[in-house]
Amino acid sequence: MNSLPTPSRPPLRSVLLRSRKHTILGVDPQKLIKYFFGSNASVAIIVLVLIMVFLLREGIDFLPTYQRELQTYRRAGLEFCDIIDQPLQRNQALSSSLRQAVSASLETLSKPARDRRDAAFLLKRQVEDKTARPRESLRQVLEKTPPEPEQIKVLRGELVAASASAAAALSYPDFFSTAEREQLQREFAALTPEVTDLPPLLQTLVAEFDVKDGEARTQFAELVTAQEEFEEAAEPLQEVLDDLKAKALETKEKAVEFDVLEINRQRLLEAAATETDPEEKASLTQEAEESVSEAVNLEESIKEITGRTAELREQVEKYAVVIEKAAAVLPKDAGTGAARAMVNKVREDIPAHAREMRAAAATLEGWRWDKPVSIFRVIGAFFFGTQWITNSSWQDFYGFVPLLTGSLVIAAIAILIATPVSVVAAIYTNQFASEREKELIKPVIEFIQAIPSVVLGFIGISLLGNLIKDVSEWGWLQWVPGFPIQERLNMFNAGCLLAFMAVPTMFSLSEDALNNVPRAYIDASDALGATKLQTVFRVIVPAGISGILSAILLGLGRVVGETMVVLLVAGNRIAIPDFSSGPGVIFQPAHTLTGIIAQELGEVSRGSSHWQALFMVGIVLFAISLLVNWCARAVARRFEPHKA
Amino acid sequence: MTPAATPQSIPPPVVQVRDMDFCYGASQALFDINLKVEYHRVTALIGPSGCGKSTLLRCINRMNDRVPSARVTKGEVLVKGKNIHDGDVDLTQLRKQVGMVFQKSNPFPKSIYENVAYGLRIHGEKNKSVLDEAVERSLSHAALWEELKDRLHANALALSGGQQQRLCIARAIATVPDVLLMDEPCSALDPISTLKIEELMHQLAREFTVVIVTHNMQQAVRVSDYTAFLHLGKLVEFAPTEELFTNPREKLTDSYLRGTFS
Repeated sequence: MNSLPTPSRPPLRSVLLRSRKHTILGVDPQKLIKYFFGSNASVAIIVLVLIMVFLLREGIDFLPTYQRELQTYRRAGLEFCDIIDQPLQRNQALSSSLRQAVSASLETLSKPARDRRDAAFLLKRQVEDKTARPRESLRQVLEKTPPEPEQIKVLRGELVAASASAAAALSYPDFFSTAEREQLQREFAALTPEVTDLPPLLQTLVAEFDVKDGEARTQFAELVTAQEEFEEAAEPLQEVLDDLKAKALETKEKAVEFDVLEINRQRLLEAAATETDPEEKASLTQEAEESVSEAVNLEESIKEITGRTAELREQVEKYAVVIEKAAAVLPKDAGTGAARAMVNKVREDIPAHAREMRAAAATLEGWRWDKPVSIFRVIGAFFFGTQWITNSSWQDFYGFVPLLTGSLVIAAIAILIATPVSVVAAIYTNQFASEREKELIKPVIEFIQAIPSVVLGFIGISLLGNLIKDVSEWGWLQWVPGFPIQERLNMFNAGCLLAFMAVPTMFSLSEDALNNVPRAYIDASDALGATKLQTVFRVIVPAGISGILSAILLGLGRVVGETMVVLLVAGNRIAIPDFSSGPGVIFQPAHTLTGIIAQELGEVSRGSSHWQALFMVGIVLFAISLLVNWCARAVARRFEPHKA
Repeated sequence: MTPAATPQSIPPPVVQVRDMDFCYGASQALFDINLKVEYHRVTALIGPSGCGKSTLLRCINRMNDRVPSARVTKGEVLVKGKNIHDGDVDLTQLRKQVGMVFQKSNPFPKSIYENVAYGLRIHGEKNKSVLDEAVERSLSHAALWEELKDRLHANALALSGGQQQRLCIARAIATVPDVLLMDEPCSALDPISTLKIEELMHQLAREFTVVIVTHNMQQAVRVSDYTAFLHLGKLVEFAPTEELFTNPREKLTDSYLRGTFS
């Protein structure tokens, strides 16, 4: 056997020396590549830090700014007025309940007459709409001077023909008798631009209604008077309050104006201090001195307001007495059951309202205009404030609770819907589906992720909203709380769509979690004689539970951060939903943390308190997302038994 | 070790494989296997890698059912005289009678107690005292009771490898099967744990019938009463262990035992 020649070996000394390689700028290219990869990884971290810094920088000034604003709110006396004004809002709610009760009661007698009247007017308008063009040309010709009788005649003929055909084509409601229908048709056909009086039958119908309405008002006289009295009760108090509010607002506007000028002056002075050119410096200083304006004497103007405390208290007391009296004379009965319920509710609520007003009046004395607003108060006003009011002519409030509530309720609905759907789907796909089914189900569910959220919002507005509303009106579903619903765009609608959006994330991650359950567990369970279902529910799901929980949490993170759908579909009412109506609350509209930023950030001026408030919301949102993600990771670690 | 061939009233073999062919789809894995496993004996299956010994073991509790297209194409497998492929055989009951221990220990990520009680629970046992008693008995059989009785509710995955494997044995015998199949139960264990399990096997043979697949011929000698040698899907020789190792009838067996090939 011929052995191949051995290749010559390098001399001994050089073997262990590092061979000369190409270097770039004196650096080994391998190291360069390593640094390149490392820098790419660190870009993500740097960007994240930058985002946090930016958010904090823009948002953190919010607290002092808001503190200043609330200080002005107090010093100018707006807070003083609100002590009475806030509880007085209740008056309107009570009033409107009463008004509804009255009109429901009156309708029991006057409804047929009113329907006839309204229907006749509607028919008349339909005829007029259809004949608008000939009538308009006729009117133009009539106004011409000198008149052209020929043309007038032709056009009049056209109008009559058009009116007649339109009147004939109308569908008359059943409650008009044949004679009435014929008369209406005749009268409509004879409508001309010159005659402004109502046709005779319409006049009769109007009169008919007035009579009925009069009768109804006599029958429910007690209720009607009580309602009127109640409505008038607040007037004297409101007058005094309006006076004070006007004064307070004036003071506040002056104070704000002064602040703006003052800040401007400070800026000019600062610029002057750093300016080197003496001429420029002189001009800046001069400009600053010129813009000195007179400070508002807050103490003086607040005295004008607090000086009327006694008068205000007196009015509140009077108001309380009057409404209590009105409550006493409210009749026990009303026209319908619903109206009776409303009246009773008002009767029950009035004493509480009166008490509240009196308590508010009592606190007026203790109110001090010069008490400073502490920073904790401001933090509380943001995080626990129940009002988010912006661009108000009175006072802006940045209370976070309505937005947070909206976001949380919507997220909860979405997660409650998405969790069972996606987890069950994942279990089915992972454990029971055939290969072909898997090939169908997985891509289809993952495709949902590709749907642009604005398209989903569109579906929510045009399809799901109407669907939910229609379904809510089905008779046999009336046991569902909140049905029939008032608003098409509500939290439930948004929650459904968000659930749909969260399903792919939750499904894929749950499926992965189930896939990661070691095959050996399944073998062991099978070998012990477990059925497929027993294996799934006693071994596979418990072993994959950490992954499933973390999938749910990541789904939650996605839902809380989603913007477009909630902006379009949640209804955007900035108020805390009325939880007193029980689970039906989910059918109310709401606004969200993400939605408010998307909606308002484009319209506020940079650096204003509103701008800063939105950044604060952004910071909180960021914190929530971080928390949810951290929880997801923690859960994954905590319940990872097969990696213990 | 004396293969106790004490002929009493000669009960039927607990497992009997008759003229069995087995295929994975188109490729045939086992050819015309005939095997009888006697009550309360340890039977070892030996042979080179890929000879089909694990497949044969898995035929006995129909674990191959889960492999699509794998099936017995000829012959039959009888457990306690009943063909296990008959239509009226309940797989759950079959596996309750024929327990299995795997190559790699695979306790569930549950407590020690729940691991042992699992088999009883899935067969519908809810009575706490029955479960308690079964757990104690099974752990004692697996020589774990003394070590673990104070921490029955600790996670089973916190145990050492040898303990985990013995726990798997305890889990398999909790339902009191007739036959215990063991698929190379010691291959992933250190020598001391292996020794413990081998000792255990003698104990187990008093209560159960054991069929063990092993790679290790010394182990087969140490633990088994009968040995079957498989090669390329065929059962070459089946005899009492002593006989097979000291005086093999087949040339193939002889050369395998000598280590001429493996």
